Amino acid sequence: MSVDADDPRFRPFFDAARDGRLAFPWCPACERFHWYPMPRCPHCRAGEVAWRDVDGAARLYSWSVVRHGFDEAWAAHLPYIVALVDIEAVPGIRLITNLVETAPDALAIDLPLAAVLPPADSADARVLFRPR
Amino acid sequence: MGGIAITGIAETTPTRRADKGLHELVVEAALAACADAGIGPEEIDGIVTDGVVMPTTVPHDFVAAQLGASRGFDAALSYGGAGTTAAPMLAEMAIASGRATNVLCYFGVDWGTRTGGPYAFHDLYPAKLAYEKPYGFNAQPTYFALWARRYMHELGLREEHLAALCVAQRENALAHGGGQTSAPLTRDDYFASRMIAEPLRVPDCCLISDGAGAFVMTSRERALDAPRPPVHVLATGYAAEPTSGEDVFTQGPDLLTLPAVRAAADQALGRAGIGIGDVDFAEVYDCFSISCLMQIEDLGFCAKGEAGPLALAGETRIGGRLPVNTHGGLMSYSYLLGVEHVIEAVRQLRGDGGGAQVAGAEIGLVGGLSPPDYGVLVLGR
Repeated sequence: MSVDADDPRFRPFFDAARDGRLAFPWCPACERFHWYPMPRCPHCRAGEVAWRDVDGAARLYSWSVVRHGFDEAWAAHLPYIVALVDIEAVPGIRLITNLVETAPDALAIDLPLAAVLPPADSADARVLFRPR
Repeated sequence: MGGIAITGIAETTPTRRADKGLHELVVEAALAACADAGIGPEEIDGIVTDGVVMPTTVPHDFVAAQLGASRGFDAALSYGGAGTTAAPMLAEMAIASGRATNVLCYFGVDWGTRTGGPYAFHDLYPAKLAYEKPYGFNAQPTYFALWARRYMHELGLREEHLAALCVAQRENALAHGGGQTSAPLTRDDYFASRMIAEPLRVPDCCLISDGAGAFVMTSRERALDAPRPPVHVLATGYAAEPTSGEDVFTQGPDLLTLPAVRAAADQALGRAGIGIGDVDFAEVYDCFSISCLMQIEDLGFCAKGEAGPLALAGETRIGGRLPVNTHGGLMSYSYLLGVEHVIEAVRQLRGDGGGAQVAGAEIGLVGGLSPPDYGVLVLGR
């Protein structure tokens, strides 16, 4: 389940994560973030897209306890929690993630969360979240 | 006399795994639809399908070659259900401008037997591969589960509401007959069923099918000569938001409203010169119970948050205020991404609804969802 993200459009997110930072695409022309990454800023169509670091505080927008294995890789990990989280510093950007250090019974909408970034040398660059 | 009518319909027998290949299924449906319309297959001179699934599996040229049909018009739009549902919009333009006389629309899938089934479809979005699949957000039930959970929080959806819609549609399917599943579904059965992605259970999810459906359109004038009662296209609507299939399930300020649904419905109702209250029944894209409820609201049949209570009050059953998915829908009849919805609406308006016939049905609405696109078709006797 490691992330295959060699696409230059997507890679800066994982490079930043391995460096201990949470970063999103940001447009120097109109000074707005967007997500998911696009070749041009979807707000103003400027061609240069930069990436900016943001704080990893988040809130739980929604979640599901998944109990069916849709492919072999995940069938071995049932049940698991998939979550959609609002990044507090960047209203409008949400991340799909998995939650750690918690259990289904402890979850509620708007639960405060913190990002858990991968180790620098990890092949697995997924960004997870835990209650804060 | 302007406008077009649907004169021929056909579908293969709903099943999980067909004993024929997809090409054969599509050809079977297309030929049967032509026969139903009272024309020879070589009289088809225009084809309209969705723009992604059919062109990459059973393309127009293949079907035309099998039918012996020379095309003066050829078009495709959106992907899956929105495209099939709004296909009459393009057929109408082609027929009105004299570019075609008999336009065929077809759709088929072999997701019941194909490796990966419907789950592989979204692999066409690279951002989903990079940022979603690695977290096990890898199939449609997981997407809609997130919407359902959030909907419960914001709008008071309860599991009872989901159950009521699913139970009503299974009742419709059994009354209609011929669907993919013949097992009854009670409220207790619903709550005893297996969780797939909480809060969605097996009955909340559409079936997975092999099969094909097709329909033939021509001018209202020519339709008078067809063997079966013509069903008129009163209006079409099509809308697509400026968001991508990558973003539509997770980004955006309000995931619980589908703006394209309202926009397409407003177009269609305005063009038909009717109000939503004039609609006698609706075939609504029920890929999941939650998305069906959201569309019932966004189409304007009720206010936000009221579709669940509407289902719980029994109003979506045959005989209710708004019968929904009279054949059982994608959840209880077959999952051909909505071509069966168009076909069922025609059956209802011909008076061929059998045990699921809506008494006095004169106007039916079909809604086709392909997030972020939406197609609306309003049909009348």
